[in-house]
Amino acid sequence: MTYAYLFKYIIIGDTGVGKSCLLLQFTDKRFQPVHDLTIGVEFGARMVNIDGKQIKLQIWDTAGQESFRSITRSYYRGAAGALLVYDITRRETFNHLTSWLEDARQHSSSNMVIMLIGNKSDLESRRDVKREEGEAFAREHGLIFMETSAKTACNVEEAFINTAKEIYRKIQQGLFDVHNEANGIKIGPQQCISTSVGSIASQRNSGDVESNSGCC
Amino acid sequence: MLTRVKSAVANFMGGIMAGSSGSEHGGGGCGGSDLPLRFPYGRPEFLGLSQDEVECSADHIARPILILKETRRLPWATGYAEVINAGKSTHNEDQASCEVLTVKKKAGAITSTPNRNSTKRRSSLPNGEGLQLKENSESEGVSCHYWSLFDGHAGSGAAVVASRLLQHHITEQLQDIVDILRNSAVLPPTCLGEEPENTPANSRTLTRAASLRGGVGAPGSPSTPPTRFFTEKKIPHECLVIGALESAFKEMDLQIERERSSYNISGGCTALIVICLLGKLYVANAGDSRAIIIRNGEIVPMSSEFTPETERQRLQYLAFMQPHLLGNEFTHLEFPRRVQRKELGKKMLYRDFNMTGWAYKTIEDDDLKFPLIYGEGKKARVMATIGVTRGLGDHDLKVHDSNIYIKPFLSSAPEVRVYDLSKYEHGADDVLVLATDGLWDVLANEEVAEAITQFLPNCDPDDPHRYTLAAQDLVMRARGVLKDRGWRISNDRLGSGDDISVYVIPLIHGNKLS
Repeated sequence: MTYAYLFKYIIIGDTGVGKSCLLLQFTDKRFQPVHDLTIGVEFGARMVNIDGKQIKLQIWDTAGQESFRSITRSYYRGAAGALLVYDITRRETFNHLTSWLEDARQHSSSNMVIMLIGNKSDLESRRDVKREEGEAFAREHGLIFMETSAKTACNVEEAFINTAKEIYRKIQQGLFDVHNEANGIKIGPQQCISTSVGSIASQRNSGDVESNSGCC
Repeated sequence: MLTRVKSAVANFMGGIMAGSSGSEHGGGGCGGSDLPLRFPYGRPEFLGLSQDEVECSADHIARPILILKETRRLPWATGYAEVINAGKSTHNEDQASCEVLTVKKKAGAITSTPNRNSTKRRSSLPNGEGLQLKENSESEGVSCHYWSLFDGHAGSGAAVVASRLLQHHITEQLQDIVDILRNSAVLPPTCLGEEPENTPANSRTLTRAASLRGGVGAPGSPSTPPTRFFTEKKIPHECLVIGALESAFKEMDLQIERERSSYNISGGCTALIVICLLGKLYVANAGDSRAIIIRNGEIVPMSSEFTPETERQRLQYLAFMQPHLLGNEFTHLEFPRRVQRKELGKKMLYRDFNMTGWAYKTIEDDDLKFPLIYGEGKKARVMATIGVTRGLGDHDLKVHDSNIYIKPFLSSAPEVRVYDLSKYEHGADDVLVLATDGLWDVLANEEVAEAITQFLPNCDPDDPHRYTLAAQDLVMRARGVLKDRGWRISNDRLGSGDDISVYVIPLIHGNKLS
């Protein structure tokens, strides 16, 4: 399966906000209500299609616990995109965003695209952080913003794909040096039209964001 | 924890990766890169990584520390963590494997003691279906816990092969002696097929264990063994296990040598393995990895390293006896520095294979050749080529731009140390740490012991991850964090840019076993 670019993402945020569930929903299209604590780092990968280009997303899912913070910090380097996640039903996870953002800005390349995600939008009745607050925080810090539900899959595709689009836009604007792997972008191996494996690829390429249902 | 990328995709990618990766490492000019790989490159099987995850793990920039996933458990709740090098090779050339082997008597093997008491003891186990157990116990195996670490060089081929196959050689060697080992009451027979010396009248050197066995009854045959008039060495059981491990290493090396005509098995590797058999730990080491036990905060070294410096005299002696191995390019003598032509006729300090101290000799023409062993510490090399003197593989390794083979100087023989688990009462924080040189190059035994004794007591004693987290902590301490001037660890010292792999094995489980 060949790709034009590989983008490295990192998912960060407090423990229990749903980072691993977002990744699982994105890569495997399923939800696991009881989830083991991530201790360290785990990986996922999926192909998406942006502007007719095959792009491989390589996603690093990190431990949210404070005790793993020093290890997590070392994984920002070489990430092109970050998904900064909070839980809309737990205000403290929103309050900690500033400190996560500081970490991210300090340890990543300046061009890293950051997507702010308010997760668990299916739990409207237990909402503790208003959508407007998320929007305001994103605006203030120059982030993209979405509310998602890893449980219902609402906006999960969009969150990952919109981030990829933004990275792709920056590449086209010449803001990313694609030859420097420290930026979290790799040019794919010798490109050729994938035929025999195309079927596998296309199954996973449901990457049309335009069908945004706006369910959240 | 999650099977994130489906195996269909993974397998397909695996095929591509495997096919292309073989030619990446020349491996000492073996020219065998057209041959298929014996096994595809990957990370230790027990990590259960998909091909995509393997790809992610090979990030030389962020250097992710890989640990055992939640759902993956190793025997004894063993902890494991690893990290790739900072860019010196595409792949992580360390390999590891861990499993519980079952050693069964080979069908048709010669039995030394036809009647064993273990049968009776076994059948009385509360959970056993008495009769059935009795029937099967003859063929029932002895379980043997196995941990291994390999540090590859000049390619990952040998390390991958050894991580897949060495355990089978060990099992095979142990199969031949499993009945003897199980019968701990009687010393191993000197000659198979002879009746064991178990009649009290036979010898005054009868061991207490042997007399105990006599008490249980059922001696094999009442015939009196012939009286001997010469002395005989008493070989304890554990020496047979040591011998089995030594033979297994040799067999593994021979297999790599044989198979390299049909497979591309690149490079060589060090090997550090531990087995736990019948209540004892056996640590076998060939290379520069290291094992230490940390018990109650105290360090018990369980291995020593084999490097050009530690094995200087063996190498010099070999070169002295077989000078043709040096290809007329090297001198087996050691001098404190390179000898220059203008120093001919002068007297200079030197040492030969028979010396640990230094003496003066008159410099001759021959002394101008490059020294067999040159360099200090981690930079010491045999014939300017290799920095480790024991291990597996390297059959095709030659001195650069020459026809001089290195292999005759390398030994596959491990040093085996034994640790009797039953002699100590181990706590939850008493562990055996195994790690490749990536850890020990930057952290002293004391620092590792301190890290462990700080870390473990702060974890919940029932947390199944505690040993993996401790391993992760050690890897983190050795890797450090990337700063402007490279990877740095505590006190602004240089972190390890090497592959680092660490096992933390709790010993308390060993006590539970026995």
